[in-house]
Amino acid sequence: MNNLRAEWHFIKGLFALNLASAMEYRASFWSQIFGMVLNNTIMLVFWFFFFDRFGAVRGYEFPDLSMLYGIAATAFGLTMILTGNIYSFMAYIIAQGRLDYYLVFPRNLLAHVIFSRMHISPIGDVIFGLVLAFWFIPKTPAAFGLLAIGIILAALIISAYGIIAGSLAFFWGNAQNASQQMLGTMLTFSLYPDTLFRGAARVLLTTVMPAFFIGAVPARLVKTTEWANLGVMVLAAALSWIAAVAIFYGGLRRYESGSAINVNS
Amino acid sequence: MLSTKINKYTSMTAINLQNQLAYIWDTLNRSLFILFIMFIFVQLWAAVYGDGGSPDREIAGLTFVNVIWYLLIAETMELGKARHDLAISEEVKDGSIAYRLVRPYNYLVYHFFHNLGETLVRMGLVFLLGLPIVLYYAGLPQIDWWIIPPVVLIMAGGMLLDFFTLSIIGLLAFVTEDIGSFRLIYQKLVFVLGGLMFPLDFLPNWLQGIARSLPFQLTTYAPARLFVRFEWSLFVDFLGMQLLWLAILGVILWLQYRWAVQRLAINGG
Repeated sequence: MNNLRAEWHFIKGLFALNLASAMEYRASFWSQIFGMVLNNTIMLVFWFFFFDRFGAVRGYEFPDLSMLYGIAATAFGLTMILTGNIYSFMAYIIAQGRLDYYLVFPRNLLAHVIFSRMHISPIGDVIFGLVLAFWFIPKTPAAFGLLAIGIILAALIISAYGIIAGSLAFFWGNAQNASQQMLGTMLTFSLYPDTLFRGAARVLLTTVMPAFFIGAVPARLVKTTEWANLGVMVLAAALSWIAAVAIFYGGLRRYESGSAINVNS
Repeated sequence: MLSTKINKYTSMTAINLQNQLAYIWDTLNRSLFILFIMFIFVQLWAAVYGDGGSPDREIAGLTFVNVIWYLLIAETMELGKARHDLAISEEVKDGSIAYRLVRPYNYLVYHFFHNLGETLVRMGLVFLLGLPIVLYYAGLPQIDWWIIPPVVLIMAGGMLLDFFTLSIIGLLAFVTEDIGSFRLIYQKLVFVLGGLMFPLDFLPNWLQGIARSLPFQLTTYAPARLFVRFEWSLFVDFLGMQLLWLAILGVILWLQYRWAVQRLAINGG
């Protein structure tokens, strides 16, 4: 219990340091956030005109897509703010032998690695995503509760997938591009209606690349308040994290020190 | 004299082309996204056009096959781009722009020709990777092959226009720490008003009017639309608009570049 508390304080400390460092350049900080909000808004405009022209597509209308988009953007944004190293940097750290820096600390290695970096522009994703989700959510307490749970579970699944993608560097060496592509591809699939995909694609997008759990499933959970969807999401998050931890620590056995002097920036 | 100058720049293109070919697996890896996005687009438009994409149904004069080929060309233009705006921004931030400016070439022309090598390889790869999906789901395009040269001309105009815009964004590093937001916003404007996500013909009339007067459509919509449904009147329109916007953006870029070079302060050696 004491260990957990110590790790929690450590992660809070990392977050505060990262935020203070990011806010040193105020103009850049706010322009990145504003840029991301604008970026997402333009994409939403595309969907608005799409549904305006073609009506419902395979059961999805503009409010459904907006809810999906809002949840996925918030979950992805939270992941990138809190665990910024998972987006390609983790593979780089491993491949370059920079894990040495983290190994010497008396802290949980995986937590230290993933929480050590913060991205700023995803704060714009979170602001945009929450405004969108709140706009289209059924105005009931249950729906708001399920929205919060759905976002947290989706963020957990993204971070687990990011850890798996980054850990490929233990096995392949230079896997920075591959891990970035894996995460980017999952995010891309998660922003489209799940009903578009059938057969093998549907199986892949719920298992190997769990994109449906980032947007479509939590959006349906909020809309219908069907508890079965919540059970499926909890199971998916748990399995993703078991796989992520197993692959990371399994891969760590193959890690070879770079014996290099690094200055972390 | 002129041929020596031209040779200098074409050598830059050739060198970067060789570099890209030497690291072809890396370039290939970075181009794989086209496989996924074309697969998604096929599913989306098959749903819009009716299951499997009804071959005869037309929306705003475009069939399912037209739309899928349109998207392949538009994505080739977008994903094939080399990101020289980032290179310029890095050079401004780390000061290495000073080192480049004293060399016997024009800084912007150097970037254009250096980029060209990478762009040609990437565009080729993106097209070839997306091609099997398009052929499988949509079949061959219903086009006359003589349209290829005029379409390539519009593609070249689009690439030059894109180069001007991205150079302006890259040089913004002189005034702002991070140019990522500007790049992202430009990219998304190309997505919607440039017709990357769907042909402008599907937009409401009032928005089509606005989009057609802006430069974003000239880099993606223009070549893709001409490829799937070629019309001479459209070709003349696009060419005229490209020349107009090249002149406007060219003047802005030239003024911005002159201002930036004068502002540059070099300390030490």
